[in-house]
Amino acid sequence: MHAWDFAPVWANAGLLALGLVNTLKVTGAALAFGIPLGLVLALMRLSPSRWLAWPAGAVIEVFRTTPPLVQLFWFFFALPILIRVEMTPYVAAVLTFSIQSAAFFAEVFRGGIVSVERGQWEAARALGMSPRQVMRRVVLPQAVKRMVPAFLERAIELMKTTTLVAVISYADLLFETNEVAQKTFRPLEVFTVTALIYFFVIFAASTVVHGVERRLAASGEGMAR
Amino acid sequence: MGSSLYHWNFAPVLENLDVLWAGALGTLRLFAICVVLGFGFGLVVGLGRHAKRRWIYLPATAFVEFFRNTPVLVQILWFYYAVPILLPFQISPLVAAALGISLNSAAFSAEIFRGGIESIDRGQAEAARALGMTPAQAMRRVILPQALRRMLPALTNRGIEIFKMTTLASAIAYVELLQQGKLLASLNFNPIETYTVIGVVFFLCLFPLVQVTYALERRLGRADA
Repeated sequence: MHAWDFAPVWANAGLLALGLVNTLKVTGAALAFGIPLGLVLALMRLSPSRWLAWPAGAVIEVFRTTPPLVQLFWFFFALPILIRVEMTPYVAAVLTFSIQSAAFFAEVFRGGIVSVERGQWEAARALGMSPRQVMRRVVLPQAVKRMVPAFLERAIELMKTTTLVAVISYADLLFETNEVAQKTFRPLEVFTVTALIYFFVIFAASTVVHGVERRLAASGEGMAR
Repeated sequence: MGSSLYHWNFAPVLENLDVLWAGALGTLRLFAICVVLGFGFGLVVGLGRHAKRRWIYLPATAFVEFFRNTPVLVQILWFYYAVPILLPFQISPLVAAALGISLNSAAFSAEIFRGGIESIDRGQAEAARALGMTPAQAMRRVILPQALRRMLPALTNRGIEIFKMTTLASAIAYVELLQQGKLLASLNFNPIETYTVIGVVFFLCLFPLVQVTYALERRLGRADA
């Protein structure tokens, strides 16, 4: 039988905490860039101009149908040679996950925008608003409220996906876990603690999402994805 | 200007197609194992989530919540490090990756199965019972066949996710496409071409599947209308 010993993990709790902060940093940065970019992609894809719709559709499909780890490798190892820039693991991670989550957010935005009844458009247009004004004043405010649960769920997915950055040596929670495991020769305990940390953070976030979902459903604004 | 452009050269990648082919076989093997085990166990857990007895319902729920709320990569690494310590045998990268991805997919597909089963009108189960079927017979002969049809798009989507997840096995050096790509890129110093080819291969494999999902969704939307 294995004698469990968590003392070496507690001794290195600082490293794990630092890793968790870095995980949240990448997640936050990818969300901050990914959501606006997702909105832009969605509006482009819905545009009547093929010059806008087609490239947006291509970006969305490519980033949704290739594995995030392949994307990360491409941005970290290939892109710096191609455009001759220095690439840090952090920049590569934020770049990859921003575009990747933007592709998913774009589909959430598109679903939300399309779900707003056609009559709303026609009414706003009849009142003399330009298409841009209709989108900003009438459609988006209603659509965004319906999209909130799908957004939050996507954000949770994103946080789980950020563990991939450990593979390119960015010091996130998983990377620090590996470091501590090798330093203390206690991989079982360290990985178990890390799994629990992820579980509690993500489970807490999921619980909040379900609460929001229920409240929106109660106010008649819930929407299936 | 022209001289500063990168000169793409795919010849070294094409000369090593056998290396990539070995990786593709590894990817397909892992994918097939995870689909069968993930969906099979997912159905069992989904039925458990649907059960009324608490000693079945509670463990099934705990399993689903734990595996849905932790990152797959952490699960794979946990099995890779934990099994040899806890059990008296070594574990290959294939088994560790298959365990992590299958259990994760079981948790996600369990929710699909449960949702599908619960979407079938209660009257169907009651009618089947009234005809003298046992609950197990009613589930197998009446409810599941109808539910499966509705779950098909969601299950196809899960299958696509599993295919993408197989790349994570490269983190523990399992021989799959991305792992072979890493090998080629470091041997030939051509990460750009290699990772581009890997990305294209995944896209070509998965894009048709994505189209199938869309078509299934449209058909179901029409049939249920």
